[in-house]
Amino acid sequence: MARYALERFALVIPTIFGMITIAFFMLRALPGDPATAILGEFATPQALAELRRSLHLDEPLLTQFYHFISGILTGDFGRSAITRQSAISEVMSVIWPSMALAFSSVMVAIAIGVPVGVISAVKQGTWVDYCLIILTISGISFPVFWIGLVAIVLFAHTIPLFPAVGSGVPGNYLSYVHALVLPAIVLGMGGAAYIARLTRSSMLEVLNQDYILVARAMGIRESRVLYLYAMRSALPAIMSVIGVTFAIAIGNSILVEVVFSRPGLGSLIIKATFSRDYQLLQVGLLVLSISVVLVNFFIDLLYPLVDPRLRR
Amino acid sequence: MNDGILISSVPSLWRRWRNSPYTKHAGFFLGTCIAILFVLVAIIGPFLAPHDPLATDLRNVLQSPSSEYLLGTDRFGRDVASRLLWGARASLFVALTVGSLSLLFGILLGTLAGFIGGWTDRFLLALINILLAFPGFLLALAFVAIRGSTLINVILAVTLAYTPRVAIVMRAVVLSIKPRQFIEASYAVGAPTTTMIWKHVLPNCLPPVIVVATVSAAFAILAEAGLSFLGLGVQPPTPTWGNVITEGRPFLLTHPWISISAGACIAIVVTGLNLLGDGVRDTLDPFLRIQTATKMFK
Repeated sequence: MARYALERFALVIPTIFGMITIAFFMLRALPGDPATAILGEFATPQALAELRRSLHLDEPLLTQFYHFISGILTGDFGRSAITRQSAISEVMSVIWPSMALAFSSVMVAIAIGVPVGVISAVKQGTWVDYCLIILTISGISFPVFWIGLVAIVLFAHTIPLFPAVGSGVPGNYLSYVHALVLPAIVLGMGGAAYIARLTRSSMLEVLNQDYILVARAMGIRESRVLYLYAMRSALPAIMSVIGVTFAIAIGNSILVEVVFSRPGLGSLIIKATFSRDYQLLQVGLLVLSISVVLVNFFIDLLYPLVDPRLRR
Repeated sequence: MNDGILISSVPSLWRRWRNSPYTKHAGFFLGTCIAILFVLVAIIGPFLAPHDPLATDLRNVLQSPSSEYLLGTDRFGRDVASRLLWGARASLFVALTVGSLSLLFGILLGTLAGFIGGWTDRFLLALINILLAFPGFLLALAFVAIRGSTLINVILAVTLAYTPRVAIVMRAVVLSIKPRQFIEASYAVGAPTTTMIWKHVLPNCLPPVIVVATVSAAFAILAEAGLSFLGLGVQPPTPTWGNVITEGRPFLLTHPWISISAGACIAIVVTGLNLLGDGVRDTLDPFLRIQTATKMFK
């Protein structure tokens, strides 16, 4: 188990390094001068030169890369070009609302997706199955921000159940949860559709196997056959899509945060984009992407629990 | 891959397609109909549009749907129905270019990695895996944020995000075909590598890869809409379905049809493309069913 965990972790480090490298070169090696982009077309040459010097832009690309990597290794992710605050502390100050949103949406996705997938597999070929298939396909086909807008109209204005904007009253934890419900459900819809689709196909595969036939022939209760015997074999495949669901949730959380005007990393990234604060944008992008890699790493660690073949 | 799928040339691929169970698959049929309708609307829609999509008419702002304005007007008095008909063009353009570019680059990268093997494979696989580790929409957003919001940049950004998904499937299929006897046989008769890839490897790899590209095209429409919604996509006044939703957002409570109708257009087309991809995949090998489902959608 410890060996397995170490092997998995050994894969995480180069992935994160690769992501940092790509994030760096995407920003610097593309045509266009970042200094002009930050200061605008009418900046004086002196101001441009000074900004280039302070961002190390006047040095060769590889030297810049060395500065960037050694900075990250010592915990220095650079400063926001606009507020001059440390970029990483700005990002960390808004990361928790984003993570709460992403994680609760994954919970919603699992809670809806797994039962829907199981029902769809059990009722394979009936109108229940067809309805659920159509529902799950449309679940991944509607733009998430549009679902959010419609949800606000329906459940915040027409039937005022939840707040339309914001993330709750500071200090009041109950209001945090209350404000989280609607965005989490909106964000979880797409993930629920993926989980349901994969649960359906892996359950169908398992339900066709002989041991299920034997269990049914022995007269074991159907609910026990489904949720104890079949589910157990289908679980690794379902778990693999949870990591994907989290990645989708992180990407879409930017849109959902904007729709619900929630503070968070997504809103920060959008703000950084419009103020051309590339340093902040880069760090925000990296932190979100690395969170996806880490969540997938933890899901990998859970595999041996559900799949005995990996325990060795 | 079972032997039934092996095909030797593109014309016979088409023959197989026509006689295949695809046409009996309800989802595939519906998806194809929606896709064809979408292409038709994008091509002839602008000629059917009753009004100029850019013509502002300040005497007729925020009209309700009527026989004159089928879906009402927006806050500049522009006809929403005409804007949606023109917007289909932008969406089709994005879907087609992203679909074919990610197909092209994905096939190129996947074939290089799978066919050459060795260090080339290790390097390309590492690159593909790192790109796959980024959430797709985030990667596209960062690219557009840095390069600027033009149609070309939106297309390049979404292509960058979805090419690795095509490439990883292509590599897997090439690897499964490489050790087959007919490849060995063409080695034995001394066929040049290019002939071998062109005549033997590519035709056999195409179906599963086309499925991934179809889904990429569907996601391209969603991603373009998402970027437009954030103000990073195709800039107004050019009509796209994404920015019609955005323009309707302030009037959602009083004039919901602006945003609702644009969102419905996106949902119908994306559903159609997903049904199409699903239908093809359902009739293909089961290992792909799992693999595409877990690798593609990030």
